[in-house]
Amino acid sequence: MKSPYETFDMKNMVRELSEMGTKLIKGAEILAGIDAIDVGTAPKKLVYEEDKLKLYHYEPEGKVTCRVPVLMVYAMVNRQYMLDLQPDRSLVRNLLQHGLDLYIIDWGYPTKADMYLTLDDYINGYLNNCVDFIRQSSKKEKINIMGICQGGTFSAIYAALDPEKIKNLVTLVAPFDFSTNDGLLFRWAKHMNVDALVDTYRIIPGDFLNAGFLMMMPFNLNIRKYVDLIDVIEDREKLLNFLRMEKWIFDSPGQAGECLRQFIKDCYQENKLVKGALKVGDKVVDLKDITMPLLNIYASADHLVPPAATKPLNDLVGSADKTLYEFKGGHIGVFVGAKSQKELAPAMSQWLHERAGEETASKHPKAAKGAARREKSLKHRNS
Amino acid sequence: MESNNNFFDAWLKSQELIIENLAESTKKFQHAFCGLGAGGGKKYGEDDFLHVYTSWTTAVLNALRGLDTADMGLLKETLSKTPGVSNACMKLYEIWLPLLKSIQEKTMSPDAYKRLSNPAEYKKMLDQVFGFDPDAISQVSDQVNRFIDTFACSAGSFMNPWVEASKKNLKTFPQFLEGHPESFLTIFHNMFNAFDGTVGRIFHVPSVGKDREKIELLMRSLDDLSVYLAKSTEYQHIIYVTGLAAFEKVIATVAEKISRGEELKGFYEFFDLWVDVNEKTYNALFQTEDFSKMQGELLEASVNARKHFLKLMELYLYDFPIALRSEMDDLYKTIYELKKKVNGLEKQLKEVSA
Repeated sequence: MKSPYETFDMKNMVRELSEMGTKLIKGAEILAGIDAIDVGTAPKKLVYEEDKLKLYHYEPEGKVTCRVPVLMVYAMVNRQYMLDLQPDRSLVRNLLQHGLDLYIIDWGYPTKADMYLTLDDYINGYLNNCVDFIRQSSKKEKINIMGICQGGTFSAIYAALDPEKIKNLVTLVAPFDFSTNDGLLFRWAKHMNVDALVDTYRIIPGDFLNAGFLMMMPFNLNIRKYVDLIDVIEDREKLLNFLRMEKWIFDSPGQAGECLRQFIKDCYQENKLVKGALKVGDKVVDLKDITMPLLNIYASADHLVPPAATKPLNDLVGSADKTLYEFKGGHIGVFVGAKSQKELAPAMSQWLHERAGEETASKHPKAAKGAARREKSLKHRNS
Repeated sequence: MESNNNFFDAWLKSQELIIENLAESTKKFQHAFCGLGAGGGKKYGEDDFLHVYTSWTTAVLNALRGLDTADMGLLKETLSKTPGVSNACMKLYEIWLPLLKSIQEKTMSPDAYKRLSNPAEYKKMLDQVFGFDPDAISQVSDQVNRFIDTFACSAGSFMNPWVEASKKNLKTFPQFLEGHPESFLTIFHNMFNAFDGTVGRIFHVPSVGKDREKIELLMRSLDDLSVYLAKSTEYQHIIYVTGLAAFEKVIATVAEKISRGEELKGFYEFFDLWVDVNEKTYNALFQTEDFSKMQGELLEASVNARKHFLKLMELYLYDFPIALRSEMDDLYKTIYELKKKVNGLEKQLKEVSA
């Protein structure tokens, strides 16, 4: 057994502290020289506006090979530029390079004037208007819809209510079955008096929701993250990566009270969506009405939207062509992880190309092969 | 540019300070490591180093706070968070010192550490992790106290007994801040007793217009505040208790490591262990039904307090020529409904023209 004097390396401790200080100073110099933190830099055009909502159309990067436009619908609790956080970690750029024609919704920052907006207003109003705008401007009967996180839930609801307008549905890390207690948010939301919250605040502050996210891993997110930052603070690029993510995390719009009230009560607390009892406006949502091809992507290590909340969708829809895709990683990794850029984006693109029908211009390299294989497998099943 | 200069001046000064003191501390370390210090006088120099380092980071932190960078909130936020977090590390370091000493004195065991450790210091660090601000709670109470004072002056002497009772209750705050939920429940009950015996009587007399409404709401707000503070104490208490339990686990793990003849290479190894054990312990707490319920109740209590306080403000502002919150809410509702109607009509018009 070692002598107790050797158990702690005092010299090392002193060195650690000195290094930490030196790095902090160098990092401060770099930070002082950073003027702005650029996010969402893929070129895009504003094509439609309604109240606080903005619809953008991305400029293609090369030839558009899949001519069915894709509408990306992000969650309302954070900003959509997570999908284009920085050029080398951008799901958007990656999909554009794979020949997709992309649109994205920016829900904006609700103010008290928006406090009465309901799920019906967001889904049958804003979302439907964006879909109609794209259908009209692209002269397509049907478009693809790609919903992310809460935006995935909204997209599935919309696809169930208006299936005739949607060619393919893609959902990423989106919750559908809220009965699970795997994720802390799901557990905590069940005990939340959302009426008291909404009646008091009207617009639920973004900071309130953020506090909930940080509380899920308080030591990692409030302490370790910043201690780890000290290791990369001298590297301008790595520091910028950190700052972009930090900007995204704390850029949380408030939530329209009435919409959140219904979302928490009907989904988190009463799980009405999977029970076929959710009413949006005057329409009841039946997930069996989703009959278009479905690609449902979940992240195996997702602590925000656990797989148990995502996976059941495939058993609830009426689609004959449905794919469940496992992404090995966490919630955020789906958008910015290296694996996402390398594997997920190409897989999504291929899946959409294969299901573009007559709308595939010069076919995606793997699309023709995939379509033939699917046709063969279908024939085999039918026989 | 000037702020950059200030920053670098501070940096240079702090560099001089650290070099000067580091030399002195190193001397002391060498002395300790050679075993020469054993037996007499001050034995180890780690405290000195810690103080030097803390004063240095404080100087840097202050300089950083004064920086006037182009972007704004986020950069400043990051600038202050990073050294701020390093201060949290230092706090952990300070807490770690007794452990280090007990190892060096060959008395290391979880029990020995418990005797040496300082829970009050650890509580301060947990406050930093969870964003608790005990001072803020005291300030809220002081504010309420002042409010009551003002109100009492205008309402006449019949409020005085209640004010006195309230002031008396506030004296139990130190107990509350030390994490005794029962102390707040006592306050809660005292407030109600005082209320029933004094102001409560006013509810038995015929309506006296707006003033009565104000008194009712004021009492309701104070009632809500008491419930909120009681819930908040309960919540913070469980967070602190869990934090201490986690720290005991950390110490037990370290003790086990040492008994196996392994070594901790440095502070960061300890830090990683501390974060991992804490995260795991808190997650186990967060997963319980009881914690979820408590969190839900705390939220409800806080929004209720806020709701009634806002209503009270409205009552006081009613006579002024300004738009009140509830009036604006009505206006927003009207605009929302009109917009919806117009959208519907436009849609119908389009369908007809198509």
